This record gives sequence, structure tokens and C-alpha cells, in this order.
Amino acid sequence: MRDYFPFFKRRPDITYLDSAATSQTLYTVAEDQRDFMLDHKSNAHRSGNSMGTYVDQQYQSSKELIGKWLNINKPEKRIVFNSGTTQGLNDAAQMIVSAMEGGGVVFLGIDSHHSLILPWTQSGNTKWRVVYVELDKDGRLDLNDLSAKIKAEPMGVSKVIAATAVSNVLGLVNDLDGIKKIALECAAVSIIDASQIISKRQLNLSGFDFVVWSWHKVYGPMGLGCLLIDPVWLNFDPVRPGGGTVTSVSIDKVTWTDNATKFESGTQNLSAICALPKLVNWLIEHQTDIEAHDISLAKVINDQISLAQFTPTSKTDSGLLCLEPVVGTVEDYTMMLDAKNIMIRSGKLCAEPLITQISNGALLRLSWGCYTTKQEIELALDNLGDIHARLSKHVQRAV
Amino acid sequence: MLDFQNMFNELFELEDPLDKYEWIIEYGAIAKPVFTVAKSDANLVRGCTSNLWIEKIEDKIYCYGESLIVQGIASMICDWYNQASQRQQMDFSLNTLTNIGLAPLLSMGRQNGVANLIAKIKTL
Repeated sequence: MRDYFPFFKRRPDITYLDSAATSQTLYTVAEDQRDFMLDHKSNAHRSGNSMGTYVDQQYQSSKELIGKWLNINKPEKRIVFNSGTTQGLNDAAQMIVSAMEGGGVVFLGIDSHHSLILPWTQSGNTKWRVVYVELDKDGRLDLNDLSAKIKAEPMGVSKVIAATAVSNVLGLVNDLDGIKKIALECAAVSIIDASQIISKRQLNLSGFDFVVWSWHKVYGPMGLGCLLIDPVWLNFDPVRPGGGTVTSVSIDKVTWTDNATKFESGTQNLSAICALPKLVNWLIEHQTDIEAHDISLAKVINDQISLAQFTPTSKTDSGLLCLEPVVGTVEDYTMMLDAKNIMIRSGKLCAEPLITQISNGALLRLSWGCYTTKQEIELALDNLGDIHARLSKHVQRAV
Repeated sequence: MLDFQNMFNELFELEDPLDKYEWIIEYGAIAKPVFTVAKSDANLVRGCTSNLWIEKIEDKIYCYGESLIVQGIASMICDWYNQASQRQQMDFSLNTLTNIGLAPLLSMGRQNGVANLIAKIKTL
């Protein structure tokens, strides 16, 4: 799998364990983006020339293949291209706020990334109240808590469930079917942040109102995301009207398009979109291996982390593990690992409500992709142990 | 009087980067302030990933960092500043660290944090 990623040939000195922040790039993506900029740069949608037609074909092919990959019918009516997860979550929130003018209650998982939380906490957004849903004893979203809190609200109040499929802190897979069931029972609008899981597991994403992800975490290009919508949302006006969202505009009438381009105003990130067909074909071809590899690395790290030296936030299911050091700060570990060319991430991980609840305010995060080897995980764990020993010596002396 | 040049030479001659960091940590531990730096908002150096406080006590600047490495780097910078001439203190900047042979600290200590530390020292 690693041979598909040029980064590891170009930078053999680096141990890259920050794939939850961004993944390394599949070779076809790097080639296709370069080819687009050098040979095919043209605009999509009704260009009337052969170069534009090529871009249109790549654009349509991208949506069809994403539909095949995720088992989604009528992808042209469901897949919205955007700049990434953050834009997708903001657009989803804005669509809901526009559609439900009276406001309501948003049930947010405490394990959410800030980008899922913040669209609902802006100062102008006074009609929507946020209720946090707690985690169960294993660290997964507590669906009993969600169910109890949502049922405690009066029937007539509009409800939104906003949850992450896999927390970027815990690496635990939440029960998406259970969330879907509660949303249906309580007539709640559902938003799923699939950023951390979509590159790793085969999912059933049908039945949710909105699902978002970014392609840069799926071995793809920067600056491109998808918002998967239930077709019912095509009945609402676009949140950002502009070129590409209409079929006709006259002095006294606007006719919006009846497919997902309604929510794709302006020129899209076409160099990124044109890199999707080969990427998605590759994902379809390797999905089973990708999933098996993720599960095997989770097992390696769960088995090998030394509880005496670090406190893991939980066991992990997928993609990442966070640790709290027993001595020293996360910054000490990150800097010393960096000196050994081991790239990890540390801090509040854009998930402060959860981090504050489960730690002293900052964590170390090791995260992997389909290209990560067992040896790299072991190297990082060995070095973490070495750093722990070095720091312990000085802490003991200082006491 | 501390012999900074010899100390820095000793530090940057170490080959293993973890040994370099350990040297810095050791420096920070030995240079532990004789005074307790108040962990107040007013003393906090903004922009550091972990908390770092500095305070001027009896004409000398002392620091306290939560991170052992940051404590070491900040102690070296404070110690140099405390021994510098008035003119050197006035001209103190990121460039000074390069001039006195401490440029590698900028990457080791993350440039923004060090820049904020220098800015804060100059306000005291």
C-alpha cells in the first residue's frame, strides 16, 4: 500500500503519524492535479469547448464514482462539492436555520470537533440552544443520554442531532445506526461528521440529512470536501447563491437547479475534483485491505502502549490514539519526537469540551493511514518510552 | 559571570537531538529561579503551546515554564538577557539569538513562542 504514496520515497527519513490531521497523497492525485494545471485547465459547466467538456466529464465521473463507493443512489442530487468539512458543516447549519426559522435545540456529541460545534454557537444564533450529549463508560456517544435528552424536549420543538462518526480524540466508532434510529423516531434533522472514518471503514450513510468529509484526509487533494445531503434539502434555497446554482435568471424570476449544484455556487476547486475519479476507483479497489489494516494497527497500539508511562484516553477502534503523559508536558514529547523526525500532533486537538473533560488540558495524538507500518507505530512507542525515561530523570531530580 | 559561548558550543556539539533537548532540560532545572514566579495572567507569555510565565524581580528576569524544554530554553534566554549590557538589552531581538549562536533554539523552541518571549521581556 505504501508504494502508492510518493511521499514515503521522497521523505524516507520521516515517520508520519499525523494522518488524522491530513493524510499523505495518493500518486494519482498528485499527477492528476499537476496535469490539470498544466494541460487541462478550463472551467466546468456549459463551456462549449472540448477542454471544458473534459472537465465536465471528470466532474460528473467524480460524483458517479463517489456514489458507487458509498452506495448512494442519484449522486448528482446528493453530493455537494465544497472547500471541506468546515464549509459543509456551516452550510448544513445555515440550511437548517433557514428552513426552521423558529429555532430549536441542537444535540451535540461532547466528542465533537470544534467545526461541528461552532456553527451553532455564534452570537447571532440566538434561536438555537445547544445540549451536549455525554459519552458512555467506553467513550462512545451515549445513546441512552441522547434519547433521554431529546425526548425531554416538547414535541413541537425543532431538533437537530449533530454527531461525529469517529472522534478525532478517541478514535472510537460511534453507533451510527443507533443515532439514525433516534433521529427518525424523534423527527430530528441529523448531521454526521465523517471526516475521521470515511477513509477507513465502509459505511452506510443513507438516512442522514447531512454527512460531511474532507478529501485531504482521504489521500486526496487539499481544499475539497463533500456535503452529502438528503434530496429533501433540494427543496430549499441555496445558502450561497451564485453561478451554477440556477437554470435561469430573468428580471422577475429565478429558477434554481434541481440537483446538488444548487449548493455549489461559483467556480469549484476543479483541479482537485479532476483528481477524484482515479482516487475513488483506488479506494473502491482497496477498501477491504484499508479497513483490515486500520483494525490491525489499532490492535498493535492498544496492545503495546505502556500504561505505566502514559494514560491512553481509551482503547482505540480506528485511526488514532491519544495519550496523556505521566511526566512532562505534551509539548516536551512533541518537540523531542520531532527531533527524531517522528511527526505527531498534540494540544487541545480542536475538541476542547472533550479534552477538558478527560484530561489536564492537552493530549498527544498518534494517528495513521493505510500506508503506516506496524514498525512505525512501534518506533514511535519506543521513542515515547525513551523520552518518558529522560524526562522522568529530570522531574525526579527537581522534586 | 556565565560563559555562554562555551555553554552553547557544548550544547550544539551534541549529536543526538534528544541529548540536546536533555541538556536544555538540565539547564532549566539547574537555573531554577531563586524567586517564585507568580503564575498570573500579567506574567503569562502569550502564544506558547504550554504555559510560560516571566517576572522581573529585583532587576532580574525569571521564568517558569510548564514544559521542561520550554523552561530550559526560556531560562537560557533570560540568563543571557540578565547579563547583557544596557545596549544589548535595548537591541535584543530574534536576530540577537542568531548573533550569539543560539539560532537553532528558534526551531527547537518554535519561533513564535520565542518571539513572544522576547517581546514580553522587553516590556518588563
